[in-house]
Amino acid sequence: MRSAGTRACIAGIGQTPLAACLGRSAWALQAEAVRAAVADAGLAPAEVDGLITEPGYSQGVIEGVTPHFLRLGAMLGLDPSYTGSEVIGGASAAAMVQRAAMAISAGLCEVCVCVFGDTPSQAPGVWEYSRGDGAAFGFFGAPGMHALAARRHMALYGTKPEQLGEIALTFRRHASLTPHAQQRTPITLDDYLASRFVVEPLRLLDCCLISDAAGAVVVTSAARARDLKRRPVAIAGFGQAHCLTGLASSDYLTELPARRAGKIAFEMAGLTPGDVDVAELYDCFTIVVIMQLEDYGFCAKGEGGGFVENGSLGLSGRLPTNTAGGLLSEGFGGGMFHIIEAVRQLRGECGDRQVLNAEVALVSGHGLGMNTHSTLILTRN
Amino acid sequence: MTEVAWPLPKPDAVTQPFWDACRERKLCFQQCDSCGHRWLPPSVVCPRCWTAFFTWVPAAGTGAVFSFAVYHRAYHPAFKRLVPYVVAVIELSEGPRLVSNIIEAAPHELRVGMAVRLEFRDTDGLPLPVFRPAEPEQQP
Repeated sequence: MRSAGTRACIAGIGQTPLAACLGRSAWALQAEAVRAAVADAGLAPAEVDGLITEPGYSQGVIEGVTPHFLRLGAMLGLDPSYTGSEVIGGASAAAMVQRAAMAISAGLCEVCVCVFGDTPSQAPGVWEYSRGDGAAFGFFGAPGMHALAARRHMALYGTKPEQLGEIALTFRRHASLTPHAQQRTPITLDDYLASRFVVEPLRLLDCCLISDAAGAVVVTSAARARDLKRRPVAIAGFGQAHCLTGLASSDYLTELPARRAGKIAFEMAGLTPGDVDVAELYDCFTIVVIMQLEDYGFCAKGEGGGFVENGSLGLSGRLPTNTAGGLLSEGFGGGMFHIIEAVRQLRGECGDRQVLNAEVALVSGHGLGMNTHSTLILTRN
Repeated sequence: MTEVAWPLPKPDAVTQPFWDACRERKLCFQQCDSCGHRWLPPSVVCPRCWTAFFTWVPAAGTGAVFSFAVYHRAYHPAFKRLVPYVVAVIELSEGPRLVSNIIEAAPHELRVGMAVRLEFRDTDGLPLPVFRPAEPEQQP
């Protein structure tokens, strides 16, 4: 039996610019990304019968309880046969594509748009949240959670700051080749080491950018995609895994749910980590790149720091990773821009940053601290 | 200059017993009456066997640093005068883990795995459970 994942594909991609402030509403950005993705697929608005949305983090605060998909769908004039919002943090973008693929496989809809958009410039402090009673101890923000992970990784496996820095400067180099990237000025290891600590051991250059941006993709059936404008990119496999117990988990700060999510996705695709030509890994902080390289099986647990040395993540390295610069340098695209870049690589549209003969891409999403994870394996048709 | 209010915990039905115990300078975890599992953060059932019968048990107050992070920036004005301060995950000798602070220690002297002991720090009227490095005779 062919698995659900193999019957759907990505037929269109769309994005807005990324910048610290775009001066437009998140709704306007989301609508622009949707319009661009549907046009890229060569479809008309009336042909869209599925809409899945991820409310921006800032928008979630502003809009309170109004379901995000409801208001965006109304503004786009859509009465879809399938809809909803995904709110599992940075794992949402890849999870939306999975929901779309499942809905299409089940016959619930045929052309499903998935969109993320956010305007943190309009909600200062939105990222400085605390969870539970953490605020009483000054436990605020995502950098703190990931600093705990980095410290433990360093203590258990000898991971070095220079290895985290290698990730930051490699992704920046990729962003320098990406016209729409938010930060394109190359950095050196000295720049990295000189950047101030935010939450030690994480420095400013270990932390992703904060961006106004929106991105969207069109998911459809392989049959429908055959007549469309673009060569479709196949959704060959996908998976999710979550660690809701967090602090109490035996794997806390050591292993991400990426290991379980990846196993499901690779099995569905009938592929292995050795088949991956390009990786687009969720990189809210440098340390999670190292952890994912281990948990996805690109190297053994504890060897992620060594793996990233000697240009392994570069465009002609062992595993070209975050080829547009990722959250660290392309900008904060909520994970949706990782999917968009994977599609561009597999279509061969990346110009100076194109990975030669890219046929298999792995995309990940990691969210809510260390709690949620989603994986997509995309292939050139 | 007026003092900035500390972001005190906001107890709910589930966490109230934990914070009530802190007022009596006790750090309590939950222990399952059925399977013996011990846990934090507070839950309404045993996270292992789902029985709803459990007991709040005071911790001995010893534990080890599971990991720690040094905040060089204050995300809340109450912490401005404390920067750099240490947020840590502490694993109690009994097993449960909690987020807390390590006080009275230079950040560069801290290590993952080092022994710590509990004390309560009065904060805007609430004794908060925090930790400091254990004295040498208390090191394992």
